[in-house]
Amino acid sequence: MSVKPILSIKNLKKTYPNGVQALKGVSFDVKKGEFLVVIGLSGSGKSTMLRCINRLHEPTSGNIVFNDGNTEKDLAKIEKPAEIKWLRQNVGMIFQHFNLIPRHSVLSNVLMGKLSKTSTLKSLFGMFSDADVADAMKYLKLVGIADKAHIRADQLSGGQQQRVAIARALTQNPQILLADEPVASLDPATCHVVMDYLRKVNQELGITIVCNLHFLSLVRQYATRVVALKGGELVYEGDPKNIDEAWFEKIYGAGAKEVHIS
Amino acid sequence: MKSYVIRRSILDGFTFAFLIASLAVWILNPTDEQALNMKLNVALFGAAFIVGTFVSHVLTMMNITTLGEALFQPPYKKSVVSIPWYKTFSAWHLIVLLVGLMIVSIIKTKFSINELLNEDGFDGAIRLFKGIGSPNFDILPKAIINIIETIFMAFLATALAIPFAFVLSFVSAKNVMTGNVGFSIYLAMRTLFNVMRSIEALVWAIIFSVWVGIGPFAGMLALMIHSIASLAKQYSEMVETVSEGPIEGVQSCGANKLQTIWYAIVPQVVLPYVSFTVYRWDINVRMATIIGLVGGGGIGTLLVQYQGQAMWPEVGTIIVVIAIVVWAMDQASAYIREALK
Repeated sequence: MSVKPILSIKNLKKTYPNGVQALKGVSFDVKKGEFLVVIGLSGSGKSTMLRCINRLHEPTSGNIVFNDGNTEKDLAKIEKPAEIKWLRQNVGMIFQHFNLIPRHSVLSNVLMGKLSKTSTLKSLFGMFSDADVADAMKYLKLVGIADKAHIRADQLSGGQQQRVAIARALTQNPQILLADEPVASLDPATCHVVMDYLRKVNQELGITIVCNLHFLSLVRQYATRVVALKGGELVYEGDPKNIDEAWFEKIYGAGAKEVHIS
Repeated sequence: MKSYVIRRSILDGFTFAFLIASLAVWILNPTDEQALNMKLNVALFGAAFIVGTFVSHVLTMMNITTLGEALFQPPYKKSVVSIPWYKTFSAWHLIVLLVGLMIVSIIKTKFSINELLNEDGFDGAIRLFKGIGSPNFDILPKAIINIIETIFMAFLATALAIPFAFVLSFVSAKNVMTGNVGFSIYLAMRTLFNVMRSIEALVWAIIFSVWVGIGPFAGMLALMIHSIASLAKQYSEMVETVSEGPIEGVQSCGANKLQTIWYAIVPQVVLPYVSFTVYRWDINVRMATIIGLVGGGGIGTLLVQYQGQAMWPEVGTIIVVIAIVVWAMDQASAYIREALK
């Protein structure tokens, strides 16, 4: 039985207005329920690719076909604000620098996940329904941070902020979660806490995860499958265990040494 | 042609033309009638300007650094050899220019030590200072009533300007107004603000005193117009410096444009906004005093009445009241702005 992939990226290209070719025709599939990790050097196009999927950046050409079993849509082709809203409901995202609203409370940040389903007028007055608040609290509990709900987001540590960001993305009730270097600005210990929560989200909620990572040790530990980008092109696709010395040099360039974090 | 060459030519052209024209006026000593012959004079000055740019160009070709060249040349051309300043052409260019400006402005302002120290004038000044120095506090209640009018005039002008400036600040911020249509709106708004601000509040007061009649209402409207333009510009500059992170974060949740502005941008700019607004109220109180002089109501109008009748002790009282209020507002706004950082 062949199940259609939840995301099918075909020949995706992105050229920035300044002429930089960030993606030079990337194609791969994302299977439903997997924990896909994207590796590659800084500037290899990893971040650009994630941002093309949820259309924070506009792809120059190519297709990103989304199929959850009910709807099939090319995410690269949608134009209308309503469709963009639909896309963002289905594809959540967390960022390297967490991107929370610093002066707002943790709960208020998590409620941002409900913005797309709240009318503009109501949202401007911060009128979220009790069900929304309950939902937000549920996900705060899931990432183990419910007791901090009424503290300002900028008072939390980096790891805690990233967990708030995960809760915010989950509140959207997405099918896919994009994670752009989620642990790159965290210390090694906190790193694992955040990665463990991502795995929990993946395994318990069945949310497909596409995650950019730097550390190969983390990749081997968490990924179910890996793709590697280099200079805007796909250079590896497969099992994380099969990345050996030779592949490592191909991806990161000769002379590169693997750094281990415990 | 490179833009720095244009800038250098214009600066050098003007400075040389100014020196040539000044010399010509000094030597030829034209009559009033000749001085008012605009067409001929503009043509002559234009000719001098062209000669100036030509001289500038020739000097640069000969590797002599003119003032314009020294000021505008790109970093890669800057000489690394250090020559004492008095041996450079550009230094003497600047000195001659400054001396020329000094001489012409002394003549033009009819600067006179004699006037400053002559006995009649000095007596008048002493009388005035004596009057001001012994304020007539009988009119204190009247002065206080009037300064209250001024303070509230400034307050209302600031308060009414806030909603306009708030909305306009997003419309005139480069990072919000993306795309071709957005960018043209941005340019149009910025130009409008610059024009509105280049017309002094004093001029707006004259316009409104004709429109709605002399009084505090005219003054308030003048201050409001000026405040909208100033606040909108300051606000929008704040909007342009917000960090992108929260914007991406909120957008990734599926927020629309309004929701993004409200949740990602507003929390980042609200404190600077409050700070600018408090400062603007402080500025408006000072400006309201001046605006009163041309019929904008408040303490300024009272001041100009007493001054017209040479009632110096009363003027003295008003000056004391203004000084106290302006000082207090200044201090209060400084403390509030400090706390808001």
